[in-house]
Amino acid sequence: MNPFVLSILLLSLGLGTTLTFASSHWLLAWMGLEISTLAIIPLMAQHHHPRAVEATTKYFITQAAAAALILFASTTNAWITGQWDINFNLHAFPASLLTMALALKMGLAPVHFWLPEVLQGLDLTTGLILSTWQKLAPFILMCQIMPVNSSLITFLGIASTLVGGWGGLNQTQLRKILAYSSIAHLGWMVLVMQFNQQLALLALVIYIPMTFSTFMIFKTNSSTTMNTLAASWAKTPALTAITPLVLLSLGGLPPLSGFMPKWMILQELTKQDIPLTASVAALSALFSLYFYLRISYAMTLTISPNNLNATTPWRLQTTSSTLPLAISTTISAMLLPLAPATLALLSP
Amino acid sequence: MAYIMLTLLIGMVLGVISVASNPSPYFAALGLVLVAGVGCGVLMGHGGSFLSLVLFLIYLGGMLVVFAYCAALAAEPYPEAWGEWSVLGSVLGYLLLVFGGVSWFWGGWYEGAWVPVDELIEFSVVAADSGGVALMYSLGGGLLVVSAWVLLLTLLVVLELTRGLARGA
Amino acid sequence: MLKILIPTLFLLPTTWLTSSKWLWPTALTQSMLIALASLTWLNNSTDVGWATLNSYIATDPLSTPLLVLSCWLLPLMILASQNHLSSEPVNRQRMYITLLTTLQLFLILAFGATEMIMFYVMFEATLIPTLLVITRWGNQTERLNAGTYFLFYTLAGSLPLLVALLMLQNNAGTLSLLILPYTKPLLLTPFGSNIWWAACMIAFLVKMPLYGMHLWLPKAHVEAPVAGSMVLAAVLLKLGGYGMMRLMVMLEPLSKEMVYPFIVLALWGVIMTGSICLRQTDLKSLIAYSSVSHMGLVAGGILIQTPWGFTGALILMIAHGLASSALFCLANTNYERTHSRTMLLARGLQIALPLMTTWWFIASLANLALPPLPNLMGELMILTSLFNWSAWTLVLTGAGTLITAAYSLYMFLMSQRGPLPQHMLALPPSYTREHLLMALHLIPLLLIILKPALLWGWFA
Repeated sequence: MNPFVLSILLLSLGLGTTLTFASSHWLLAWMGLEISTLAIIPLMAQHHHPRAVEATTKYFITQAAAAALILFASTTNAWITGQWDINFNLHAFPASLLTMALALKMGLAPVHFWLPEVLQGLDLTTGLILSTWQKLAPFILMCQIMPVNSSLITFLGIASTLVGGWGGLNQTQLRKILAYSSIAHLGWMVLVMQFNQQLALLALVIYIPMTFSTFMIFKTNSSTTMNTLAASWAKTPALTAITPLVLLSLGGLPPLSGFMPKWMILQELTKQDIPLTASVAALSALFSLYFYLRISYAMTLTISPNNLNATTPWRLQTTSSTLPLAISTTISAMLLPLAPATLALLSP
Repeated sequence: MAYIMLTLLIGMVLGVISVASNPSPYFAALGLVLVAGVGCGVLMGHGGSFLSLVLFLIYLGGMLVVFAYCAALAAEPYPEAWGEWSVLGSVLGYLLLVFGGVSWFWGGWYEGAWVPVDELIEFSVVAADSGGVALMYSLGGGLLVVSAWVLLLTLLVVLELTRGLARGA
Repeated sequence: MLKILIPTLFLLPTTWLTSSKWLWPTALTQSMLIALASLTWLNNSTDVGWATLNSYIATDPLSTPLLVLSCWLLPLMILASQNHLSSEPVNRQRMYITLLTTLQLFLILAFGATEMIMFYVMFEATLIPTLLVITRWGNQTERLNAGTYFLFYTLAGSLPLLVALLMLQNNAGTLSLLILPYTKPLLLTPFGSNIWWAACMIAFLVKMPLYGMHLWLPKAHVEAPVAGSMVLAAVLLKLGGYGMMRLMVMLEPLSKEMVYPFIVLALWGVIMTGSICLRQTDLKSLIAYSSVSHMGLVAGGILIQTPWGFTGALILMIAHGLASSALFCLANTNYERTHSRTMLLARGLQIALPLMTTWWFIASLANLALPPLPNLMGELMILTSLFNWSAWTLVLTGAGTLITAAYSLYMFLMSQRGPLPQHMLALPPSYTREHLLMALHLIPLLLIILKPALLWGWFA
């Protein structure tokens, strides 16, 4: 791709999300969402592989449908209440519509089907953008329309944590697994969003470095299936040793960073006197943990001198900088002792 | 005026049915054009004369070109119009659905839906939406810049997406 | 407390910076010095019981024996692993010692925590190093299955515990062990409080493990390398008993009704797992099931909540920790020579390794609770308090003791006595390292009976 075009696309990707962050008017927020959708589409289809084109088409259709729904809901809201402001209390009906539309944009559970298939068609870098940066704008909008229909939000959250765990169990494709992990994590965020938006933000802030490390580790090893992971000990030994920590952190095992948001969210849920929901959410994390554990098994815990699952591949010295990966893996493994500081950083 | 609005609204429903009943692409495109044109009429009836003008000229103009190309690409040797039994069946089904819905909701119907807004009758000197256009040009400069940027972006996106055809994708 | 924690932390640079030639001696020396320094905790002369108190960690008569046991286990694990890791690259050896060290760090923090949540976090934190030790350094393919069982049984039990603890924290405003006994009990609906009680206990009962939730334990024990089996039997199971004793104080009015099914399961488990031991062919599996059986007795002693029950449980936990760890080491010495865990293939070893037989003898006797070993003291106290609670339990506990004696003798006779099989031609002799390892297990066990008051906890 031409570097000028690429820079314009990346700039617009930033512009769209920032526009949504900055807007207090529904129309502008919608516009920001559309810009970022539009800007990522050539990035997704840049390899013109049939699978990539299919993924792009699916992404475009779902995002366009979600954006149209947002536009429709905000217009309805303006019709009923006479207000275009995001921070103004919404009428119950457009609020539910908006929640569903934003859920579709982010890929929450009952409307999540596009996400694994789209992610499977992309390369790892674009997939990373899709599962981190592209989630920000709808996430912030969803934070801003809270509190809305509580049972709908709880349903979305619980369904996402369950589906995110359940769907990944059977997968051998890493990108699909990551998509399901993203669904489950978003479920946790949405679950607590109606009570405490700072905690949802905390969960997002912790999720981003964890998923960044995972995508980058897979990219460094250039593996997209579990089978190819078995050869990674020969390519990047140190990274292979650290990967289980990052993965178990994604699974939310103490004392790794991933436990912090889960812990805080469970505390908030018990404080709101819904311990049953909290328990269901906590136990549904076990499903996700199972496939993270399977990746760890395939990648790290079955390596030489045990019997190998793969042959040693031809390899070259990696030239890309490993500093971002070093920082993000450290963050995603060791942030739990800094929990009070992290919480203080995110509270208003 | 109420009769004209009524005609337009009925035309809209029929147009939607003509697309939804799944005929060949030519005819579906025709139905879409019908809906869009009639929709512009409805908008005008509600006071959005400028908006409907813009829609009719630009949107429909662009749409027709796109449809001409699409229809040419998807040409079928034996097109199915609304007279075909498979299509006619769904047309009748949708019509039944519409009539059923209308009779079901008849009591709680919003009576004023096809009555033109008061604005057009009493304050027809300045239409509200053209006032909005003036406001946008005087205050919404930033928005215009963003819109221009989006146009550029769209151009590049379309170019990037279609360019690959030459490379065999 | 920091006098122990910081040297333990600095074992990591020691491990990674010493030259490969001196790696094992240095790690062993430093961990042994830490273990010896930890003995000073036993000299607890405060009136309130809590000593070396700071804002997060402290020791008290209940946690001190377990803390000292965890510190004691690290040099023994390093000693035991030296041989089977000698074929690995040096970085992997360092990694292994690092894992064991982090495990000890988490264990000290878990037993020393004055805050239930900190205990919980550290309780869970021990899972990761143990999982890596089992699944990375185990030998058979089944180790992956064992790791999955280990992780998921423990987590499925303990995630409800987290929710239950957070509820308690919302209600009482604190989770500090120093304050919690004086707060008012949690008020819920009758059904809700039953569920809450179960959530608090089941995590620890899975970890203990209670019969019926024990399936992960034999798998993990059998597949783990020797250090993993040792620490699992000696300390990790004790986390469950320790947590139960800590939480029992807060569950007071509910426990009276709720404990019945669990006591029944625990005592029934003593019989059942003992019977399973009687027909085992796998040496490590036999020792693992014997652990389940002993821990069933400990669970029973804790669940009836009398001072004697608690004291007996604590004594039995420490004594069983040393004895079962010694047995796993002995099993490993066999394994390193014959490369098989099957008892049929390694019989009559008295002829080949006569001095080792002495250790087998002492360890088997410790396992079947021969006087004057502390194992007997613990079992007797638990048996007495259970008998006092209901005379019928004697049927179960008595039969359990009999079966324990039977399978311990079965294990000893099967492995040591009789003719040496024909296929064992060139066995390496037993090394000084192995004798030292056994001595460091069994001498403390023998010495404890001279001053059992160290293990009596709060309750005597």
